[in-house]
Amino acid sequence: MAIVGRILQAAVGSLSLPDKSIPFWGFGDVFLGKPQNPGPLIQATVGDQLIIWLMRNFITSIGEPLSIIFPGQENVMVRKIPWGPFIYEPVQPQYRSGKMISLTNYLDEKQDIIVEYSFTATKPGIYLYESGTNPEKQVQMGLYGVIVVRPQGFNIPGHPNYMTAYGAGTNSGYDVEKILVLSEIDSIMHNDVLPNVYYDMLKFKPDYWVINGRSYPDTIRGDNISSQPYGSQINCRVGQRVLLRIINAGFQNHTFYLGGFAGRIVAEDSFPLKTRSLDATYEKTGVTLGSGQRIDIILTPTTPGEYCLYDREYHHLVNKDQFPGGMMTRITVM
Amino acid sequence: MPVINLWAKDGYLSTPDGNSIYFWGFAKSESDPAQLPGPYIIAKQGETVTVNLYNTLSEPVSITFPGQPGVTAGGQPVRPQYSDGKLLSFVNHAEPGGMMSYNFTPTNPGTFIYESATNPHKQVPMGLYGGLVIRPADFKPEIKEYKTAYGAGTNTEFDREYLLITGEIDPYLHRAVENGKPYLVSKYLPRYWTLNGRCAPDTMLMDRVDYLPHQPYGSMVMGLPGEKILMRYVGAGIENHPLHPHGAHTRVVAVDGRLLRNGSIDLSYKRFTVLVGAGRTCDQIYQWHGLGYTPQNPIPTTLPNLRNMGVGDAGWTMWSGSPYLGVKGDIPVGVVSYNEFGEYYFMLHSHEELQITNWGEFPGGMMTMVAIYPSLSPDVGLL
Repeated sequence: MAIVGRILQAAVGSLSLPDKSIPFWGFGDVFLGKPQNPGPLIQATVGDQLIIWLMRNFITSIGEPLSIIFPGQENVMVRKIPWGPFIYEPVQPQYRSGKMISLTNYLDEKQDIIVEYSFTATKPGIYLYESGTNPEKQVQMGLYGVIVVRPQGFNIPGHPNYMTAYGAGTNSGYDVEKILVLSEIDSIMHNDVLPNVYYDMLKFKPDYWVINGRSYPDTIRGDNISSQPYGSQINCRVGQRVLLRIINAGFQNHTFYLGGFAGRIVAEDSFPLKTRSLDATYEKTGVTLGSGQRIDIILTPTTPGEYCLYDREYHHLVNKDQFPGGMMTRITVM
Repeated sequence: MPVINLWAKDGYLSTPDGNSIYFWGFAKSESDPAQLPGPYIIAKQGETVTVNLYNTLSEPVSITFPGQPGVTAGGQPVRPQYSDGKLLSFVNHAEPGGMMSYNFTPTNPGTFIYESATNPHKQVPMGLYGGLVIRPADFKPEIKEYKTAYGAGTNTEFDREYLLITGEIDPYLHRAVENGKPYLVSKYLPRYWTLNGRCAPDTMLMDRVDYLPHQPYGSMVMGLPGEKILMRYVGAGIENHPLHPHGAHTRVVAVDGRLLRNGSIDLSYKRFTVLVGAGRTCDQIYQWHGLGYTPQNPIPTTLPNLRNMGVGDAGWTMWSGSPYLGVKGDIPVGVVSYNEFGEYYFMLHSHEELQITNWGEFPGGMMTMVAIYPSLSPDVGLL
């Protein structure tokens, strides 16, 4: 039972789309000093205590209060520096003059330096973390990221849970793992949003669709140190078990198509479908994910080649109305 | 070995409100009209299927068969196609005026889609899609236990079957394509919602009526009380549709052409509504059982006087005028009844109810009926 500590800051940065750059708000590791989309990947093992510091940004602040919620995690506790509370208390929605202003305790950059959130990772799976303050604006601006919780023994060869997503007996063993975070971007909104100014979400009309913060063809480029560090290209060999961990961090539904393959759904919203008494895993050629939903799929390609994975809602496969683009990536099978 | 020829062509769709809409579709032969949806492909598990695509359109066209492993094109495994480094098609395509031959051997029975994989944001909504049904290897329609969707012993026996393919149409974007203008998805705003390429009430017409030459498939679901009616839904559009029949729940036996069963564990489930997602399929069994009321065992309700009854403002009804199956009664003066033999009608529709209109006018759109007849020819409900 280790402690997993991360110090995150929110900052204004620049997001690169295939034909332009737009401002965004992202979480970044404080020591790297750069916001990113999605936010830094947080990895933990069941039983670990996670301590996430959300720290004031003195230089490139987004300019409004912000917070982090952890959907799927229970008993999240909070404390604040320097004005308290100093002892952990359960996170609570925050109100001002009877009006809710945040889904959870937030960082007010005028007075707080650190908000510390803490919880114990009790269940393996993939989880979102995202802003709980003005979330309609801040999540769209990019304040979201992923927590992966792994079963104990996942990294110990010979352990029954070795290289599994949910432990032995859950049919979640894998050779290759890929996290794909789906979202969409309204580039006009990104240019127009001002801190602390109401943004009329009735005007929300996304024009870019992204996997791990990038639109095709940027999705198939490798991992790098940009503000969109995570590539989505998948490489595997015939017969390998490829674990796709798909998360919908956006506001629209997406029907992610598996390149013509049928994959086996092994977990929905991080609840494994195979338990000791029942194997309820099932196969699909595509999965529809609502906002905030997650799904774990095992693909086992049998034919070498190159296959496109994409949102079957085809109007999301464009950049500036031009195909190809948007929410699409590729799997290369050797 | 089934060989299917599909000709990518253009044509004009008819809508019940009198519109005529340019579309692209697959035709059965060079001389047949383009149709929406494309010709049903019926094949058998384990038997190799050849699909020859002939492209008469002005841009490349291809066909993808999601859920079919090992598809080859021109004898080689299908591959994404690039032009100047830019992705053009998910799989090998036929150039304008050219052809491409695809082969695959279905490993699983079930309901699948086939659709264009070139400029799919435009070509699929324009109509280049169709339904693919794979029979189980042991399929024998003349033997009850072997007339199944997924093989003997899978609890998927059926008496009649229907394929219902959903789609949406934005008439302005179709017109843009007709005029050689770009298909701008940012402007996409569907006004027609289709089942088997037709909008209600045309959905309830027979198959192959001669005044709908490009829309040969009806969507009227017909059966007898107690029969197992297999409904195969295919979501060919780019939107998700919550479909449900009235009258009875359905048992979902498969999704995306994959049986909901692991070994001996039956994972099928009952639903009132299923979300037919884009590119998804859903096989369900619908069984209607009456409550046993007959003229000899009458309903415990006094029917209102005919003069006090009204039938909507459409001026027509599917009602027989009697509460009893197989009995016809009087209907209010001035109302047209399309009821034939005292059969019951239950609506089947998208519960996103804007979609049961034609350009905002109810009734229309993604709606049809399930008709429960007192007696019915065994030739009804065959694919």
